[in-house]
Amino acid sequence: MAESVSRALRDGALDGEHAPALAIKDSGDSPFGLAVFSHVLTQLASNVLAGKSQSRFVVLDCYTDPLGWKERLMECGSITNSSPKVSVNTSLCKDIRDLDKLFSLILQQGKGFLGEGKSRFSVAIDSEPGLSGRKAHGGGSLCLIDERADLDLMSNLSLGKVSEMLRHTSTSSVAGLISNLRSHNLVSCVFWLLHSDFHEIRVAAALEYLSSMLASIEQMTRPNDVPRDNSQNISLLEHNYRRGKFHVRFKRRNGRVRVMSEEFQVEQSRIKFMSVSSEDGTIAQSLVPKVQFNLQLSEKEKVDRAKVVLPFEHQGNGRSIDIYDGRRSLNDGKSDTMPASSEKVQTNEDSGRGEIIYFRDSDDEMPDSDEDPDDDLDI
Amino acid sequence: MDRSSSLLDEALDLDGLTTPSPSQPARVVLVEDCVETSGAFILHHLMKRFLSPHSSNAVVFVAFAHPFSHYERILRKMGCNLVVQRDNNRFLFFDMLMLECPGLDGGVGQSIESGLFALYGKIQKAVEVSSLAESKRNITVMIDDLSLMEVAANGSSNHVMDFLHYCHTLTTQFGCSLVTLCHEDIYSSTERATIPLQVEYLADVIIKAEPLASGLATDVHGQLTVLNKGFYDGLGSSRSKMRNFHYRIKENIVEYFYPGSRT
Amino acid sequence: MAAMKTRTSSFSRNISGAPTSPIPGLKYGPNGTIFVSSGISDLDKILGGGYPLGSLVVVMEDSEAPHHMLLLRNFMSQGLIHKQPLLYASPSSDPRAFLGTLPSPLSSKDDRSRDRDAEQEKGLRIAWQYKKYFGDEQKVEGRGDGKLEYCNDFDLRKPLERYFFSGQSIDCISLHDNPSLYTFRDRCSAFLAQLPRYDGKITSAGRIAIQSFCSPQCEFSNMEWGMLSFIRYLKSMVRSSNAVAVLTFPHSLVSPSFSKRLQHLADTLLSVRAIQDEDKELAKLLTGYQDMVGLLNIHKVPVILDATTFSMKLQKRRSLVLECLNQAPVDCSSGTSYATSGSCSGSSTSGTLDF
Repeated sequence: MAESVSRALRDGALDGEHAPALAIKDSGDSPFGLAVFSHVLTQLASNVLAGKSQSRFVVLDCYTDPLGWKERLMECGSITNSSPKVSVNTSLCKDIRDLDKLFSLILQQGKGFLGEGKSRFSVAIDSEPGLSGRKAHGGGSLCLIDERADLDLMSNLSLGKVSEMLRHTSTSSVAGLISNLRSHNLVSCVFWLLHSDFHEIRVAAALEYLSSMLASIEQMTRPNDVPRDNSQNISLLEHNYRRGKFHVRFKRRNGRVRVMSEEFQVEQSRIKFMSVSSEDGTIAQSLVPKVQFNLQLSEKEKVDRAKVVLPFEHQGNGRSIDIYDGRRSLNDGKSDTMPASSEKVQTNEDSGRGEIIYFRDSDDEMPDSDEDPDDDLDI
Repeated sequence: MDRSSSLLDEALDLDGLTTPSPSQPARVVLVEDCVETSGAFILHHLMKRFLSPHSSNAVVFVAFAHPFSHYERILRKMGCNLVVQRDNNRFLFFDMLMLECPGLDGGVGQSIESGLFALYGKIQKAVEVSSLAESKRNITVMIDDLSLMEVAANGSSNHVMDFLHYCHTLTTQFGCSLVTLCHEDIYSSTERATIPLQVEYLADVIIKAEPLASGLATDVHGQLTVLNKGFYDGLGSSRSKMRNFHYRIKENIVEYFYPGSRT
Repeated sequence: MAAMKTRTSSFSRNISGAPTSPIPGLKYGPNGTIFVSSGISDLDKILGGGYPLGSLVVVMEDSEAPHHMLLLRNFMSQGLIHKQPLLYASPSSDPRAFLGTLPSPLSSKDDRSRDRDAEQEKGLRIAWQYKKYFGDEQKVEGRGDGKLEYCNDFDLRKPLERYFFSGQSIDCISLHDNPSLYTFRDRCSAFLAQLPRYDGKITSAGRIAIQSFCSPQCEFSNMEWGMLSFIRYLKSMVRSSNAVAVLTFPHSLVSPSFSKRLQHLADTLLSVRAIQDEDKELAKLLTGYQDMVGLLNIHKVPVILDATTFSMKLQKRRSLVLECLNQAPVDCSSGTSYATSGSCSGSSTSGTLDF
């Protein structure tokens, strides 16, 4: 299913429509947004490269010097080089706070290597530093915007992570940048990464709203507030840092939402997607309008329930067995027979109901005698 | 004793931290502590490891919490002479105890940004100089601590994050490691506290020092939880691992042991 | 607790062995630390000698009880007796009036009577092994009537004689009248600057006492960042001079994160707590409940020490003593967020223990 995301990005925008936009959302409990982002970017890249030999990447680096500090330091001569190795295809963005300038910079970059023609490029925004270090397309710096063109004159564009941007600017200006990019006729797709727990729900929702696809990353289990002092919990938590769930919601043109979910495992900073064998209903359920609880059992459910063999039931070949419960005091032991018999009637009526009736072996026996009350257990 | 102290080293994969290897990217370590269990001893431990006589690694230390003499006294007890290391240019100390942005003098308006910018300039210069001095040298930038830096920046966590971002660029540019201390309990009452959340994202290794859930005990001073997001198991694959163990601080040494492994 | 016992006793050995410090009111500890007395001999012992020079002591107040004032009064009085410069700041509009409430040291006659008490107690209850060390130490300290003691016992009912105030540098600041923290800060720096610098030999130590720092009547009490940077500044100034700053603040009145930040800034962190009056449950659970006026928690000290709770008692209604909280071995509900410990014995003098 991760492929379908990449496919949608590859296919790009149709004429007269906004470019597809993918929002990748993760949280501190399962911080694999970057891995997914890298995966999508690599896929997109290889898609382009596969078809068209002359494609290339341009990296607009907003990681190295987002506020222009290094440039200023260089100017006053206190440091010698501001960025590690400036590769040919990298240019620096030195003021992440001015998004209008950033937008024109993106377009300028995109146009620059597209040349004339009707081609489009894609934008990936990411200010996360680890990206290029761990990623397929080398270069020591973090790329904020990644653009490529393809020979077809139909090109793609990918956009990266916006959380960093949001720290410096307002929600509305980031949202403005994204929608400007989407509606620009040179942009074929946009995608970005969002750390949902950095932001207020309102902000995160705004950026999800702008997307045409929303990929959210969740942890496998919810070990909320598990004390970390026993080894089992530790391994549970450790587990969470290796794998997680991946849900994608496609907002389709016809108004339906396609929901897909997968599991992934992170191996050596690469991410591996696996389809989930048993589709749990949680996703579907969230779409179903709220209805009231069903307290009745359907016929099928009743039959199914009757099939369950309860503990001890096998001892009497189906007949219910009376078992001394060892807990009732002698006093209420006297009255045992009464409720028991009435319950027994019930049981006979519907032997499939699976009730367990406890009986004392004998009433004259003290409950706390030496004899092990569990002697007759046969499990 | 050797065995027990290696528990932390093993969880941290310290060899990977102290010896730079091309396969292993630089690392960001976050130490989180609280009032009851101070995490300062982890910084001291790391400092000692980085400055071990067998390596030529250098430490750039940005102190908001204590003056040089404080660290010097503690490290001396642990068998590491910071004065000598400072003279060897292996230990660069920035005393930021009095740093305040904006400056209080009321005079020439020193904005928060320009104050932190100036500090960053000093750090980058120090890193540059010491990376030129000896190639293949691993440089570690340590910040003690982020919460006080926030106070110095008059509560502007955004500026602190900008600063940290720039420190982070040093990890990609020079292959530095970055070690920071953050008092987590300060933020426990705040929702979406910027600093701990964002630094946790940046960090490859998170070390949490907490009191025992059951309260304090005489022979256990607290527990450490180490989450190593990119543990290198030596066979060329990396995966995250998590360790939890107890510790006891003694006069010159800290003992680490697994829960229940001591009588 | 064993660690603490050994520390305390090794500390006593140091004292008897070490040459008496040339400057009254200062005590040399291990690793070059120098202590000044807190004015409460029990607290000095618990802290391993007193408040270390150059440290910031933070006391978390109980909003319902004035126990922090007890700590401050003893601290200030002790300083005045040692002729140490003092800076006192409080939110009241006339802070100098507070000086009139400072306690006076017990006369040597009273002192001896206390010694005798301890002596007697030792004779009666020898089960307490470490008691004898305390006894010795007290004798060492009590020797020589003409010499100033490191730590006096104070009579809380008797005001300090006027002549202690004369000819000394006493600076009183009202936080209420002082609109800005900057001027306060300047006063502090000026006060610290007049202290002789440390150059291998210390001649005197200064004491800064700041009472109820964040109390709401101060104008700056809503400027959390300003107050934090003030304290941070104060801490670094004190670090580099030979002074001790004791600051109390009402932690229930400030935001939790601010309180935590302040606690992190402290070198020594204490808190005081009132105990409920006529609480039959508590009376059953705690030995010596009748005499207690409050609880003192030690959260953070420069030396390694298990966080513990001590009870504050007024001995013979006038001098403050601290005792380890002695709990019946039942899980007692009295300790809410504080780490109470029932196992600490052997830390305080003159315990009225039920054996």
